[in-house]
Amino acid sequence: MDTPRDDRLAEELRALRPTPRPEFTAELDERAAAGFPRRSRLRFPSLGSGSLQPRRLLLPAGGLAVLAIVIATAVVSTNQSGDEGVPAESYALLDQKPQPERRAGAPQTVSPAGGGAAAAEDSAGSEDAGIQYEADVPVVGAAAQDATAASGASSGTAAPLRLEADANSRNRAVERSAEIVLGADPADVADDAAEVFEAVHAHNGIVMRSSTREGEPGEAGARFELLIPSAKLSDALAALSAIDEVISRHEATTDITAPTVTTGELLRDSKARIDSLLAQLEEAEVESEREAVEAELRQERRHRARLRASLQNLQRRADLSRVLVRIETGVTTSDSSADGGSWGIDEALGDAGKILAVAAAVTVVALAILGPIALIALLAWLTHRAWVRRERRRVLS
Amino acid sequence: MDSDPGRSTGMEQTLVAEAKDAPRAGDLAFDRLYRSSRDDVYAYVAGLLRDAPAAEEVTAATFERAYRKRNRFDPERGEPRAWLFGIARNAALDELRRRGRQAELTAEPADVESKAFEEDAERSERRLAVSAALERLQPRERELIALKFFAGLANAEIAQVLGIGESNAGTKLHRAMTKLREACDGHA
Repeated sequence: MDTPRDDRLAEELRALRPTPRPEFTAELDERAAAGFPRRSRLRFPSLGSGSLQPRRLLLPAGGLAVLAIVIATAVVSTNQSGDEGVPAESYALLDQKPQPERRAGAPQTVSPAGGGAAAAEDSAGSEDAGIQYEADVPVVGAAAQDATAASGASSGTAAPLRLEADANSRNRAVERSAEIVLGADPADVADDAAEVFEAVHAHNGIVMRSSTREGEPGEAGARFELLIPSAKLSDALAALSAIDEVISRHEATTDITAPTVTTGELLRDSKARIDSLLAQLEEAEVESEREAVEAELRQERRHRARLRASLQNLQRRADLSRVLVRIETGVTTSDSSADGGSWGIDEALGDAGKILAVAAAVTVVALAILGPIALIALLAWLTHRAWVRRERRRVLS
Repeated sequence: MDSDPGRSTGMEQTLVAEAKDAPRAGDLAFDRLYRSSRDDVYAYVAGLLRDAPAAEEVTAATFERAYRKRNRFDPERGEPRAWLFGIARNAALDELRRRGRQAELTAEPADVESKAFEEDAERSERRLAVSAALERLQPRERELIALKFFAGLANAEIAQVLGIGESNAGTKLHRAMTKLREACDGHA
């Protein structure tokens, strides 16, 4: 292009330069003025590949991912709040035991307190063996009290756990206990105490111990140690809860089926042993032999008596539930935060921490799932991009 | 656009209507780029595709893509025109790839013939010879000539569009011009 011939050639090339139609340029100018609105790409669908670029899908995909995480967090949090305090292994234990029906909103703690079946096997006389279930039922305020009373009156299920019916239906031996703290004015302590007696008698219960104090708020109060037939425990608790403002309620159950069954089996073995010894005694011809058998027989009978007493004690524990009722004065609903009855800053921070922890866990799980998928998508995109570039080079070669 | 077959004069043309809202600096810069490059982009794409309707579609798509990506333009990586022609090149090559045929860079014969009626016979014959010589060049060589003489890019801009060095672009262009001149001489 340094020579006149090159200049002439360049001039000829420029003269061959294609020019757009005026109609096209006018239309394009209009679109430029409008900010190039998106067109339908019927004629050249390949040119619309930009609409399918991953970058354009990033925002909705990210939004969907965040939404999924939020939903998963909400679901997990809801489930967790419903199962709060329930260790995972408890469910395995509950599978073997009458599974208590949980009421929403009533936090409960179920903890194995014994060694389970293994512990029961080697503790025939141990009455503490078994599975213990505890339920904290914070009920604060008149509304809660009314609700509790209403539900208890209508269905007899003021207690959050319906272990009783399940346990009885499956012939399980379950020891139950409960503690109710009622808040009252000092002037009402006497009346409340009288109503406690009435409720106990109405449900064929027994007042083991009772004490009543009069005085200023904080000093006045009452305490009752009761035995209530387990079959009527729920009704009795509902009636007791209706006496005054319920500050707190705690229920616990201990599955004593294993020691009960084991003790019964040992009792049968002991009876068989005694029968065998009696047969030996009849057949004994020598005095020394007779005396030895009689000594062994006495020892076995004592053993059987202990077993029988133990079994009766177990049955009594299953039949009668221990209930502790305390009537306190000078206690307001705000004071009951220690019992978990109110929701304050600490609880809010705790809940926030739990939600964040759940969100983090869900995010980790989501990343574990989405990470490989994103990696594959990235590799596919890079491969596609490389392939497109190679094809573009091939077009001109 | 005026009917002048020469290069766009850029800022002299009033191509974009006034925006209702005060445009941002980026929009103004893109507006200037659009004004100065519209016909050049079309000329380059039309030369590459040899299909006027397809060239119009690709040109429109080029500016649409460039408009969408205008905020991602990095001045440190090259000139705006080179960036724009890179987009146009990819769009044109995609179109060619979709069609499954190679680029044919010469101008449409109808155009040449129509212009020939208006010009003297000697010039018309010469242009036909150049057009025929262009068809005998390799596609890559025809693209170089299209970028240089149809789009009016400088060697540095051509180098950026093709992703090669400026001296390399100049060398390739010189070779293409030499082959084209030889082809014209042979045709003559």
